Amino acid sequence: MLNTRIVDSNKEKIELIRAEKFITSSKCGASIYFVGTVRDSNNNKKVISMTYDSHDTLVIKSFKEIYKSSIKKFNFGNSVVFIEHIKGKIKLGEISILIAVACKHREQAYELSRFFIEEIKKKTPIWKKEHYEDGDSEWLVGIPIQKD
Amino acid sequence: MIIKLELYGVSRDFSKENFIIFNLEEKSTIKELRVAIINFIVENFKNNESYKKIVNSSAFCSDKDEIVNDNYKISNNEKVGIIPPIGGG
Repeated sequence: MLNTRIVDSNKEKIELIRAEKFITSSKCGASIYFVGTVRDSNNNKKVISMTYDSHDTLVIKSFKEIYKSSIKKFNFGNSVVFIEHIKGKIKLGEISILIAVACKHREQAYELSRFFIEEIKKKTPIWKKEHYEDGDSEWLVGIPIQKD
Repeated sequence: MIIKLELYGVSRDFSKENFIIFNLEEKSTIKELRVAIINFIVENFKNNESYKKIVNSSAFCSDKDEIVNDNYKISNNEKVGIIPPIGGG
């Protein structure tokens, strides 16, 4: 079971409670929450906020494809996955991505959680622009998108 | 033919709008579009090498939201998205 969404930072924040409601299941004995947040420094520059840009349709498509790949790769029965990614500008410490997974066993949950974030980094069209204390800002260098 | 190039990530710096319109030859492919964008960079950003590198390492996506290769034939009035190197999460 999968739930994915892009969250507009102008309207709302990413909150764990939505994920918790979705992944809670008596069929699953282990849950993992991966939470990505804005860090205060990068390359010796003081970061004060971050803007996330995305190709929304491709992002959701990518999340669904990664989910399909995970079923094919791991074949964990009854696994539940919830993914939200922010779009727009957020401050230090605010959540940019939340990946919540629930599986029967803890080994499966750890493996699935790690799989999702690593695949998203390679296959999901999202970009980050850092804003610095001195007023400057910069798009971060990424990697060419990988196709399946 | 007219192509609307939709901008994402760092390529948003190429224009104040979130798109650029290109007029290309009929039956042009992504390969020709890439050349047209490079020419646009040369003319508008003093041959900015960093921008040219971004264009050369970008993927493109079609109107149907599919990542397409350099041989993909673009249709008249098609919206094509430029997908610069990614780094979300």
